[in-house]
Amino acid sequence: MDHKGDSDSYASAGNLAPPPPPTGRRVVMGIKDVSDLEELELPSETMPLNMGPSHPAMHGTVRMVMEVEGEKISSADIQVGYLHRCFEKESEYATYTQIFPYTDRLNYVSPMLNNVGYALAVEKLLEIDKKVPERAQYIRVIVGEISRITDHLTCLGASAMELGAFTPFLYNIKFREWLWELLEELSGARLTHSYVRIGGVSGDLTEGFGDKLRDVLRRGREVLVDVDKLLTRNRIFRDRMDGVGIITKEDIGAWGITGPMARASGVAYDIRKDHPYLVYGDLDFDVPIGSVGDNFDRFAVRIEEMHQSMRMIEQALDKIPDGPVMLNDPRVALPAKSETYNSIEAMISHFKLIMDGIRVPPGEVYSFTEGGNGELGFYIVSDGTGRPWKCRVRPPSFANTAILGKVLPGLFLADVVPTFGMVNMIGGECDR
Amino acid sequence: MPEAPATTPTSAAAPAPTPAPAADKVTVTIDGKAHQFPKGTNLLEACNEAGANVPFFCYHPGLTSPAVCRQCLVDVKGQPKPVPSCYTPVADKMEVTTNSAHALDVRRQMLEFTLLNHPIDCPICDKAGECTLQKHYFDWDAKFARNDGIKVRKAKVVDLGKHIVLDQERCILCTRCIRVCDEVAHSSELTMAQRGDHEVLTTAPGRRLDNPYSLNTVDVCPVGALTSKDFRFAMRVWELYATPSVCPGCATGCNVEVHASRDQVYRLVPRLNPTVNKHWMCDEGRFTYKRLAEPRTAIPKVAGTAVDWDRALDEAARLLRAGVGRGVGTVGVVFNAQWTNEDLYALARLAFDHLKIERAYLAGFDEGWYDDILVSADKNPNTAGAKAIGGARLRTLMDLSRDLKARTVTTLLVGGDAGVLGPNGTATTPLDKLDGLVTLATHAGPVADAAQVVLPVAAWAETDGTFTNKLGMVQRIRAAVPPPGDALPGWDALSHLGRKLGTPMDLTSAKQVFLEAREKLAFMRGADWGRPFLPVQLRFANTRG
Repeated sequence: MDHKGDSDSYASAGNLAPPPPPTGRRVVMGIKDVSDLEELELPSETMPLNMGPSHPAMHGTVRMVMEVEGEKISSADIQVGYLHRCFEKESEYATYTQIFPYTDRLNYVSPMLNNVGYALAVEKLLEIDKKVPERAQYIRVIVGEISRITDHLTCLGASAMELGAFTPFLYNIKFREWLWELLEELSGARLTHSYVRIGGVSGDLTEGFGDKLRDVLRRGREVLVDVDKLLTRNRIFRDRMDGVGIITKEDIGAWGITGPMARASGVAYDIRKDHPYLVYGDLDFDVPIGSVGDNFDRFAVRIEEMHQSMRMIEQALDKIPDGPVMLNDPRVALPAKSETYNSIEAMISHFKLIMDGIRVPPGEVYSFTEGGNGELGFYIVSDGTGRPWKCRVRPPSFANTAILGKVLPGLFLADVVPTFGMVNMIGGECDR
Repeated sequence: MPEAPATTPTSAAAPAPTPAPAADKVTVTIDGKAHQFPKGTNLLEACNEAGANVPFFCYHPGLTSPAVCRQCLVDVKGQPKPVPSCYTPVADKMEVTTNSAHALDVRRQMLEFTLLNHPIDCPICDKAGECTLQKHYFDWDAKFARNDGIKVRKAKVVDLGKHIVLDQERCILCTRCIRVCDEVAHSSELTMAQRGDHEVLTTAPGRRLDNPYSLNTVDVCPVGALTSKDFRFAMRVWELYATPSVCPGCATGCNVEVHASRDQVYRLVPRLNPTVNKHWMCDEGRFTYKRLAEPRTAIPKVAGTAVDWDRALDEAARLLRAGVGRGVGTVGVVFNAQWTNEDLYALARLAFDHLKIERAYLAGFDEGWYDDILVSADKNPNTAGAKAIGGARLRTLMDLSRDLKARTVTTLLVGGDAGVLGPNGTATTPLDKLDGLVTLATHAGPVADAAQVVLPVAAWAETDGTFTNKLGMVQRIRAAVPPPGDALPGWDALSHLGRKLGTPMDLTSAKQVFLEAREKLAFMRGADWGRPFLPVQLRFANTRG
């Protein structure tokens, strides 16, 4: 090979003329002249600014296209759908039981609440919702409230971290991990539990579960005290949260917002209180509401809800009766293995439930529960076969995220992060 | 047409608005609602026509009723005990309750008796998933066992005949199979022996279950007692997708369902058509699917070398042009009675309208055995269609053989390789005497080997189209599995060939070919393509068991 040409080109590069000497003007940070800084006028044209979907504060799943005038947002276009996984279409090709793993992946920081909401919808259609054993109903409340705590812990911790407060995040995640360890003990899976079944739950509470849970809650309360100390009187945190992203009561109704976001704006709507399901009617708990409807109220409501959830769990642990955790109906529940292997009746029941699915009588149902972020609804249409003809989810995150297009304009760019964080948009359930 | 039978019973379609009973009608009150039925109607059929959904094991719409299973018991006013509805004709002013607590309870108790000695075989049973016992237990019983006694043991594997294996433990003694042999095959090989819970199904002394309709016993068996040796352990039924089609085995054109999974056909089962085959089909027809798995042509070939479609079509067009150049009288075309009307119509358009070929021959499988039940001597599904499309120009394979020997025909376009060689072992068609042979072949073999150009085409069960049976009924067949490799439907391959020959035929879909053919051909007038059909997995179809 002849390297001459290469060396020639290097030589010529070395012979390049030196840069011209600086003139009188100094160019700093893209602004033409330092002296311009004093009489700087904002450009009259707005600038389009894209955030996400690959942005650390966008939870990896949402894209915001904003028009900014300097630091100020003049319009925001919220584009969801980056985590669309065809939950509803896939459900039409799965038996009613096979849908539970899909529901785990809706709001994936509180899978148990999705499990419970979906099971209640199918049970309503099967007209067995009143027959589910009481112990199973208590267990569903306990695991559901544990999931609500993990949901809020994730939301608050991540939001604090996005504002630069890394320590509360680690504390929250520590507490969440204790709870997930308990749920793992119960269901075998740390995150995607698939623990609830139509007609009950897949297994009873493990040995000593109640004591361990009480201990975790005791330690968890200490964690919340630490977090409270680190955040609630933290000047930086308060400055970024207080009075930012105010949503009025009227907008809550107009945009269909539910859950902690609605309650932070003073709408005392909690499905557990207003339309009690499971055994929520027998439990004593308060519904915290905010007065301003800003980001800090949303933060404070979530903190208080965690305390209320812990109250509920402790009451449920006191009250939980003994008994079966699954409905005793060969048409709905898998028979015990000893029965299945030793009697033809249970064998057929097992076979039909696995192969054809639970036969749900033709009809339609809308069933709604209080999810981590608000009203989690399932609308199911059955044609009498073992799989739904239609399984629609009413995800709370979808309505909650939609209002950002109205709230963000007028705020500063830096307010996007705490405001979006307090919406707690979960791509899995928003995009389904 | 099977999709729209010309003899639709108008009485069922338009119920009389006023309850003015005709002379031959009786009024029956079923679950509180008055219905009218012709005199002598079976009460079970009347109840189910009224939407009552009365279960049954031993009753079969194509057989007589012995009322042995007691699963169709209903309450009739004035009767002290529930009556077996399958054995009761309707009577005027009869008041029937199908869902009274009493009737439901006795039916449930009968199921409990039936399950008492039933083996716990579902995981290894071929019928599981399409089992009537499973279905009835789930729908009508759904109670756990109250008895944990020892079940009566019987023979598990009884070789009943050429195609059938019996498991006596699973048998629920409904006698459907006995009646199929008696009433459909008229051969009476099967019978019951012993009594009580030791009663078993068996063959009559010295007999084997080897009649030509024996596999119908497997279809009618409500449980997994009778299983087909061919299908046994081959595939779990709930994995199968059912596609309605027509059997290609003979000119009768029995309506069938093709059961396929993962691009492979596993079995054919009869589909009800009152005018052609009722509920039945012959054993021979069931095995026609095996021909799909025989060595196939999957890639176009020129002189034995695999090429792409474009090259093969160019070469085919060159050969045919050269043949026509030597005189159109030296070019012949072979129609095949195994092909669909659509493929044959495309062939006729290309050969007669565009190439002006006059010498046409009809090929197909040899004639075989026949009976006066279902089996025809003509073993081709579309002889009537081929003859109608080819018209008076069609000559026999003997003529082809003679013309080839005399070198009258030196170039041949073969549409479908089945039976082209001539009757088995006799007058073998001398294909080696040809100068140019273009074959649209489904299967590898001597015809494909002898051809300069082989164009692979889809076989039955891989293509949409219609067959014309010996009664002149144009019946729809549907693609259940994709054709192998690069094979195309016959009409499609011919359309491409036409384009290469400079005569575009603009055929875009089987339905379009069908509609065009229906315009031009008298025998297809009034035929219906039918609605689009999406195969349903049997586990969700709820059609069997």
